[in-house]
Amino acid sequence: MATVQQLLEKFHEVASSPQKQKEYYLKEGKKVVACVPIYTPEEIIHSMGMIPMGTWGADVEVKEAKRYFPAFICSIMQSVLELGINGKYKGVSAIVIPYLCDSLMGLGENWKMAVPDIPFIPMQYPQNRKPEYGIEFTKQAYLRVIRDLENITGAKFSEDNLKKSCDIYNAHNKAMREISSILANHPEISAVNRKDIFKSAYFMEKEEHTRLVNELIALLKAQPKQDNNKIKIVTSGILADSENLLKIIDDNNMQIVADDVAHESRQYRVDVPVDGAPLDNLAKKFSAMDHCSVLYDVDKKRADYIVNLAKQYNAKGVIVILTKFCDPEEYDYPILKGAFDKANLPSTLIEVDRQMVNYEQAKTNIQTFREVLEY
Amino acid sequence: MSEEVKAAPKKEVDPNSAKARLGKIIEDHYNNLWVAKEKGEKIGWCASNFPQEIWQTLGLTVCYPENQAAAIAARGAGAKCCETAEANGYSNDICAYARISLAYTELKDVPEQNMPQPDYMLCCNNICNQMIKWYENIAKKLNIPMIMIDIPFNPDYKVSKEQISYVKGQFLDAIKQLEEITGKKWSDERFKEVMEISNRTSRAWLKATSYCKYEPSPLNGFDLLNHMAVAVCARGTVEAAEAFEKLAEEYEESVKEGKSTFRAEEKYRIMFEGIACWPHLRFTATELKSRGMNMVATIYADAFGFIYDDFDGLIEAYCSVPNSINLEKSRDKRVQIVKNNGAKGLLVHTNRSCKLWSGFMYEMSRQIGEVCDIPVTSFDGDQADPRNFSEAQYATRVQGLMEVMEARKGGK
Ligand code: SF4
Ligand code: SF4
Repeated sequence: MATVQQLLEKFHEVASSPQKQKEYYLKEGKKVVACVPIYTPEEIIHSMGMIPMGTWGADVEVKEAKRYFPAFICSIMQSVLELGINGKYKGVSAIVIPYLCDSLMGLGENWKMAVPDIPFIPMQYPQNRKPEYGIEFTKQAYLRVIRDLENITGAKFSEDNLKKSCDIYNAHNKAMREISSILANHPEISAVNRKDIFKSAYFMEKEEHTRLVNELIALLKAQPKQDNNKIKIVTSGILADSENLLKIIDDNNMQIVADDVAHESRQYRVDVPVDGAPLDNLAKKFSAMDHCSVLYDVDKKRADYIVNLAKQYNAKGVIVILTKFCDPEEYDYPILKGAFDKANLPSTLIEVDRQMVNYEQAKTNIQTFREVLEY
Repeated sequence: MSEEVKAAPKKEVDPNSAKARLGKIIEDHYNNLWVAKEKGEKIGWCASNFPQEIWQTLGLTVCYPENQAAAIAARGAGAKCCETAEANGYSNDICAYARISLAYTELKDVPEQNMPQPDYMLCCNNICNQMIKWYENIAKKLNIPMIMIDIPFNPDYKVSKEQISYVKGQFLDAIKQLEEITGKKWSDERFKEVMEISNRTSRAWLKATSYCKYEPSPLNGFDLLNHMAVAVCARGTVEAAEAFEKLAEEYEESVKEGKSTFRAEEKYRIMFEGIACWPHLRFTATELKSRGMNMVATIYADAFGFIYDDFDGLIEAYCSVPNSINLEKSRDKRVQIVKNNGAKGLLVHTNRSCKLWSGFMYEMSRQIGEVCDIPVTSFDGDQADPRNFSEAQYATRVQGLMEVMEARKGGK
């Protein structure tokens, strides 16, 4: 059995080398399908024997994508398109793009012309996802993704296999929820390590990732309880995978004890129900999802959700990590801030993008926040 | 500016003219809101492309935050409102219409265009998803109900039957919710009537806008930007239908008489793509007019021409509005307009507010340029935040477009 250190190294290695992972699976004769944020029906792709790989862009300079996107589109979309144009996704059978925000629609529409060799599959999620007609629409949209995948890759869909994949994904969800919660008691695991655990999930077969995460859980559980003098915080935002930023959090003696990050825990909150037809179940999973800036919610429950998360994990404050030009998050921010203030929960806002080189402002911001929390 | 001065000595505007009628419709629209509010009626705030047949049939009183924001911006208070929203934590990145509207729930009095505060929100995201967030936030802040008709952006050329049945389900739900909120009752009879009137108005609007195809055009295309407000807020009324019919008649006359509201020699015919820069309307229009460039093509003609035969057709029409259709269909619609109206150049507004519209505009306009063999130029602006526009850049780009168009004329 591996040690904690070895496991963390493995997560780090996978998280840092999506290219290598892609090549590895291709060499194994597997088909890889790129999955664009924020939600895609990965279970379906998995059930058809393919590897769904998360495609959240990378910290690269945007050049070619400028021919398609004006500067005010978020850097996740810009860099996904840039990587596509530069051939970084070569070998991938298709890309699934969910139409959950205006910029994602732009990505899908541009993709067809900008990266013609990788077929684009749209995933049209309904916003009124809870009533029967909404669930039905999700299901129909899944059927369309299935049809496209079958046509493009020749793979076949079956409900039986989907059932198995949903179980595998549920087990992964459970492992991810558990590790997140156990890490709250393990201040020695840095924010960078934590990120690796979450990020690597996008580049590995889920069975394998679940196995590794469960190994880590077992090892951590077996350890004696540690003293914890770190400042507990919750993070919120779309993406928080910048090592530079996370190092600043680590350097300031802060510990992420829970998150509301789309790239991290938002993925794992809701399981596929088990007691009906598999595809219906999968549609019901989406209908049950909430607390996210791209999912319609007139009650804006996300704000209180984060406040409660902070309470539950005794966090002293929230760091909102805002992806620049992300309008869904920008609209939520004043509401979140209002809820934090009302609950006397200190918070700070840090704007990030994938082209960020200068972290001085973020550093000052986090240092000041630390002082507030320590006071 | 000079044109209006020239038009003096001012004649009384003929109250029967289309312009007067259209103006009166807007004036009445705002006046009626206050009367209704005073009577204790509930007021809805409504998204521009929410199926108006619903509230019209129920006999509700609604107003349009997008129209209001445009009016506020055109009259010079865009920056003030945007700054208020920003002071309340909203990023300057979000749509300026939304910022103005969010600010208005705070300021409550903006003399440039007042309207009553809402008792419920009618949202439809067939123009963008920012709409959802904007309306959510107002509903949350004021603790009022929100009716949400979700019309997802359509990645395909045709509207699927799945989408139609999804939207239909919501349409029927919206009626139920509104009956509960307002106590008004739905009538199928009245619905039929409203559909008929709406079609009549849409046909008249499309007819009026179609006069742009004449060379020279009997209208300054910018006129349409003003008339559009009526197409938005009064499409289901006989007054609007009649006013647009009158407008079409007047254009017909003008064509015969060789008159035009474009008060310059029409040397170049262009398509203008995107929303107007309301805070800089005069400047943007004058720069064109002074060069003899008339806007003879705009997607707005299509945008409010909802023609349908039945309920399914109605739903399909709302699923096919310009911002909800894919690149290919968006392109083809515009190519058709360029060809029908003989536009020889394309001027594109890269609108800082509008991620959806601008998100694939570069590629789409390239394709339109290629298919139609016309030059394309874009400029950076914003429909309501005056700070995101540079006069110098606009003038240079317009000049550049004109020169290419001129050179092409010579070549042919
Ligand atoms: S949700 Fe935000 S970060 Fe994600 S694609 Fe849309 S704008 Fe970009
Ligand atoms: S300008 Fe664009 S972003 Fe703003 S409301 Fe209109 S469609 Fe939406």
